[in-house]
Amino acid sequence: MTLDEIDKIKEEGLRECDAVKTLPELEAVRIKYIGRNGFLPQIMKGLKDVSPDERSEYGRIANEFKNRVGSALDLKKAELAAGGAANGESTFDYSMPGIWRGLGAKHPISSIIEETIRIFGRLGFTVAEGPDVETGYHNFEALNTPAHHPSLDNTDTFWLETGELLRTQTSPVQIRVMEGRKPPVRIITPGRCYRRDTTDATHSANFHQVEGLYVDRNVSLADLKGTLAYFAREMMGPGVDVRFRPHFFPFTEPSVEADFTCHVCGGKGCRVCKNSGWIEIAGAGMVDPRVFKKVGYDSEEFTGYAFGMGIERIAMIKYGINDIRFLYENDARFLQQFV
Amino acid sequence: MKVPISWLKEYVDFDASPEELANKLTFSGTEVESIQTIGGDYKGVVVGEIKTIEKHAGADNLLICQVNNGREDLQVVCGARNFNVGDKAPFAMVGAKLPNGMEILERKVRGVLSRGMLCAEDELALSDDHGGIMLVSRDIPAGTPFSEVAGPPETVFGIEITWNRPDCLSIIGMAREIAALFGTKLKLPSVDFMERGEPVDVMAEVDLQDAEGCPRYTARVLTDIRLKPSPQWMQRRLTLCGVRPINNVVDITNYVLLECGQPLHAFDYELLRDHKIIVRRGFSGERMSTLDGVERQTLDKAVLIADPVRPVALAGIMGGAGSEINDNTRNVLLESAYFNPPDIRRTSSKLGLSTESSYRFERGVDIGGVDWASRRAAALMVEHADAVAAQGVIDVYPGKQENRKIKCRFSRVRSVLGVDVPDEQIVGIMKFLELQVAGHEKDHCIVEVPTFRPDLQIEADLVEEVARINGLDKVAAVVPQAKVVVDADDSVTRAVIACRSNLTGLGLMEIMNYSFLSEQLLNAVSTVDIDSRVVLPNPVSSDYSVMRNSLIPHMVDTLGRNLAHQVDNAALFEIGKVFLKAADSSISEENHICVGLMGKAGRVGLSQRRPVVSEEIFLWIKGIVESLAAAQHVDDVVFKTAEHAGMEKGWAAVIEAAGKPCGILGVVKPEIRKKWRMIEPIAIAEINAAVFVSNIFRQVQLKPIPVYPAVSRDVAMVVNESVRHEDVIKIIKKAAPRELTGVELFDIFRSEQIGACRKSMAYSLTYRSLERTLTDEDANRYHEAIKDALKNELKAEIREGK
Ligand SMILES: [Zn+2]
Repeated sequence: MTLDEIDKIKEEGLRECDAVKTLPELEAVRIKYIGRNGFLPQIMKGLKDVSPDERSEYGRIANEFKNRVGSALDLKKAELAAGGAANGESTFDYSMPGIWRGLGAKHPISSIIEETIRIFGRLGFTVAEGPDVETGYHNFEALNTPAHHPSLDNTDTFWLETGELLRTQTSPVQIRVMEGRKPPVRIITPGRCYRRDTTDATHSANFHQVEGLYVDRNVSLADLKGTLAYFAREMMGPGVDVRFRPHFFPFTEPSVEADFTCHVCGGKGCRVCKNSGWIEIAGAGMVDPRVFKKVGYDSEEFTGYAFGMGIERIAMIKYGINDIRFLYENDARFLQQFV
Repeated sequence: MKVPISWLKEYVDFDASPEELANKLTFSGTEVESIQTIGGDYKGVVVGEIKTIEKHAGADNLLICQVNNGREDLQVVCGARNFNVGDKAPFAMVGAKLPNGMEILERKVRGVLSRGMLCAEDELALSDDHGGIMLVSRDIPAGTPFSEVAGPPETVFGIEITWNRPDCLSIIGMAREIAALFGTKLKLPSVDFMERGEPVDVMAEVDLQDAEGCPRYTARVLTDIRLKPSPQWMQRRLTLCGVRPINNVVDITNYVLLECGQPLHAFDYELLRDHKIIVRRGFSGERMSTLDGVERQTLDKAVLIADPVRPVALAGIMGGAGSEINDNTRNVLLESAYFNPPDIRRTSSKLGLSTESSYRFERGVDIGGVDWASRRAAALMVEHADAVAAQGVIDVYPGKQENRKIKCRFSRVRSVLGVDVPDEQIVGIMKFLELQVAGHEKDHCIVEVPTFRPDLQIEADLVEEVARINGLDKVAAVVPQAKVVVDADDSVTRAVIACRSNLTGLGLMEIMNYSFLSEQLLNAVSTVDIDSRVVLPNPVSSDYSVMRNSLIPHMVDTLGRNLAHQVDNAALFEIGKVFLKAADSSISEENHICVGLMGKAGRVGLSQRRPVVSEEIFLWIKGIVESLAAAQHVDDVVFKTAEHAGMEKGWAAVIEAAGKPCGILGVVKPEIRKKWRMIEPIAIAEINAAVFVSNIFRQVQLKPIPVYPAVSRDVAMVVNESVRHEDVIKIIKKAAPRELTGVELFDIFRSEQIGACRKSMAYSLTYRSLERTLTDEDANRYHEAIKDALKNELKAEIREGK
């Protein structure tokens, strides 16, 4: 049998299969084409007569014959079994629930972290991570926090028996990165932090932050504002703007708090923003030269900005979650909503 | 901090509504958190005199009073009982409207007519106190409008002062900020007074032994004092700031503290042995009683104020019992000093004792203003306590330093802020802030920092001053430029994100638990791990007292709590850190992946009512781990039977990748499940994430798609129950030619015909050659060899049929 002949038989088979109206007719077609004495065994037998260099092509065509005709027969069989063609109308209950395993869902905290990584990733920020168990040096001293600052107290910070602590912010990662390389540095540092807060609707002893750091020549507060404004719109939606209020953090000078336009009311004032039209989101500022000194950077040559945001807070505002505890209760009825 | 606006206006002129002022302060770094109106116009509220008190026949907790409003007696039913006949109290008559919006109507209370109300402080918006009616002096005639007693309404700001700005912890400090913001001048009160007494160094002595803990100490002596209540205006200001008036001497020290931020202490001069003050460190084992009546025991190295025989004050924190102002006090030694912030912080924190005084000292008071505060208090005592001031002051000031000078380069200010502030504007801002501009050159100025601004140390601190006074709204939001740092690598984070996506793709929901948990929860799953637990020395509560060393306890708990909420199917995962203590007590962290299944999570379609058996749920979770491994490109994953404290015996397997154990999976022990009332089996897997994320970015190398047809052959065999799938696979693979490209177990069944302890296993084998089309004969030959091997090595009875 030539390859063309095989193709022709295949086409005929497909046509016949398409034309049948009953199961017995279909069985006859099956026997004719792929039954024990049908075309298929003949085609397979023909293989041994083919010259070695044509064998591969012959095999491929034979295989295609088997697959195409076989699946056409299967499909037709299913169609006839469902009764469609036999009675002229279908009795199949299309309204039955579909059957496929459902999709899972990421935790809202993960979603916000991943979204943040994506947004800053477009600007060329890469992720840096560090240990949760930190040294006092990296968590406080290198960040220009004096030893008598109240945040060092064991009423505020979880100190461990080793003399280490559970980091109270992800800023120590900034220090570790700067210790390890020369500028430019362009990183964000998402991660888990710990403070000795008693849990209530807005406080959690275990929480997540993402911080950002950009050190280079000629970095200014205006660059920081532009970057946060970009993030604000990407994360919360178009029309969301940023404003700065002066604040104090030991590791930045000047320090600011950044508010985003309330995305719920568009800045007109509502319950979510306590009628101010703004929502406090980030702490930020220009890296204090005293911090640069600790990591051996020349603050005359380089300047930098840093910012930090609470992931839970963003998640709560974005998704309308009014109690931080929902995020850690892992109630399936809550998590399911984030599919 | 509470700041009454009327008090501010004594030191600074400004023209702005409270809201405008609050806004200006907030946007210059002093956050106004609340604006409170104290008091009201009190229309219809007068001073009432209580003439009679009777019990209400119908209610034990009510009294019936006749109250005189200056014209007539009115019957009032009252729920409070903190008064006697003859007392006077604010009386709201019928028709009055109180600041809280309440309107007074004539009404019957349990059948008795009530024509007005005796008011508590909260009802008058004077405080939150609702502990009884407010009583006023019996000297005030009945019928006096209450507005004359209470004064006009006041606006009080609640202000949050950041840690770096101790100078703002006072009314004058705030006034100074406001003066800078409005470009006006600060007006300070007079501190002049007559010194009519003996020279102070004849009357008292100061021996400053600890110059590090106390760089400056001043003492004044005031004699012939008459203790009495302080003037009304002073009491009112103290009350507005939340300080309870006591007597003129104590009130004056508190007043000056609030006014200028300098804590003062007044000793009873006669109770100081030899009228001598010694400033020194506490000895080990030394103890003293403080004013609050508590015996303080750990004074070792604390800075103390002592006389020659005993400590008389915990420096900068609290006075001692036995030297304080009392009813018989006539002569006072007034202390005004500067204590070293870290010392005060350490002692305050060690003793768990924080006061208005320690709060300021630990942030740093104005060392240059110590004597000014002392003079201010002395002047007030001369005026309001009839005091005779001794001549001069003892001022021991070993820590005196020249004022710091900082160079401020105009171009640096502009480049850091990204704002084009003119030179003159920068210099102007310094001047408004009362910073001395010592030199003004072409491109910079020299700023001399006064002692009240200890926070200004380097040029960057001055840049911040310009930023906040000039206004951060002047900072433009520059459109960000993307910039690539070429050698930065965050592939591990991206691999974890991929892992999370793969798990959700497999139908699992992510959970997130705390990094710490209760010992009880850990013990509920296992106690074999005790040595590796990192215990928190100062947990918030016993529920969060140990760092987790495994994600399994939280997973079991999460499944159990969901079941209690009637969620009976769940497929969950968590990715998180565990913390492990080594034998040398050092702590290491590992990222783990945990998967938990409950109920029919793995069953799709119908037949949901059939209970889940251990075998099913075990194979589901194994399937998840296998799929995840494939998705994360982890090769050579094998499962080996294992023992695990939390897993049922025979239903646990260790997960190995590249020959090394990297996790565990299995069915949780019934006795553990029982604690959460979980009757059906649950399955859990825990994997060390490092192994599962290390390979994900491996490049795929495409293999050719087969061009020749495959031939498949089935083999069904009856074997002993003890024969495992892995045994069968091993034998097939050994006996198979390289043309065997797939083996699939497609059926297992047991029946009476097969016999007890026997099972039938059916496999589908696929043969395919890369070089040619296989013939039936080829396939049969391969297949027979495999069947022979199975027969010989497993004693398998091959079931022929196909
Ligand atoms: Zn709003």
